[in-house]
Amino acid sequence: MKNRLKVLRAERDWSQADLAGQLGVSRQTINAIETEKYDPSLPLALKIGRLFGQCVEKIFLDTDGK
Amino acid sequence: MVESKIAEVLKDTKHVIDGAMEAVGQTKRVYGARLLMRGLLWAAMYVVARGLLETAIEPQSLRIAIAILPVPFFVWWLWTWMKGVGQMDELERRIELEALAFAFPIAVVLLMTLGLLDLATPLNSDDWSMRHMWAMMPALYYMGLWRAQRRYR
Repeated sequence: MKNRLKVLRAERDWSQADLAGQLGVSRQTINAIETEKYDPSLPLALKIGRLFGQCVEKIFLDTDGK
Repeated sequence: MVESKIAEVLKDTKHVIDGAMEAVGQTKRVYGARLLMRGLLWAAMYVVARGLLETAIEPQSLRIAIAILPVPFFVWWLWTWMKGVGQMDELERRIELEALAFAFPIAVVLLMTLGLLDLATPLNSDDWSMRHMWAMMPALYYMGLWRAQRRYR
């Protein structure tokens, strides 16, 4: 799933490790989400949304949706 | 004869150690060195038990006690692994699941084929018995772990 995680992270000048630390996941998980190899669970997506102060739909883009 | 038995035991031990080294590399964040140390202890107990059982040690009750000697160490290692899985994040758990999903069906097919081959043509139990085949299962798990790690790298 396409997402804006890398852009949002870069805007705040956070490294993948910084973001991973704040979300309580591994750096590998952040990298896999950013490279669209892994779609996060709903609880993790909501946590990401809360951290960036944006709703999930603005971070994760449903490319299959009409 | 004794040298070939020792070489065989050392070969099995090497498989266990190689697998444990990979596990440490891939799950270091969660386990540190605990999984490796407890796995090595379990492997050492297995080597000791197997070495003793291949001698003419008596009585039978002592042989049975020696045969189950590695079990508590395996349970300790398993408890460490399961506790580590509980501390993993969602992607790491998925990688564990994919590793097991890769290893389990292959182990089933290999054991099934081995059983059928044993019916078709008697296999030499010195080469093809369960005491050799069990080490294949952790090896398959580590192959699955390596494969799943690569997918999400």
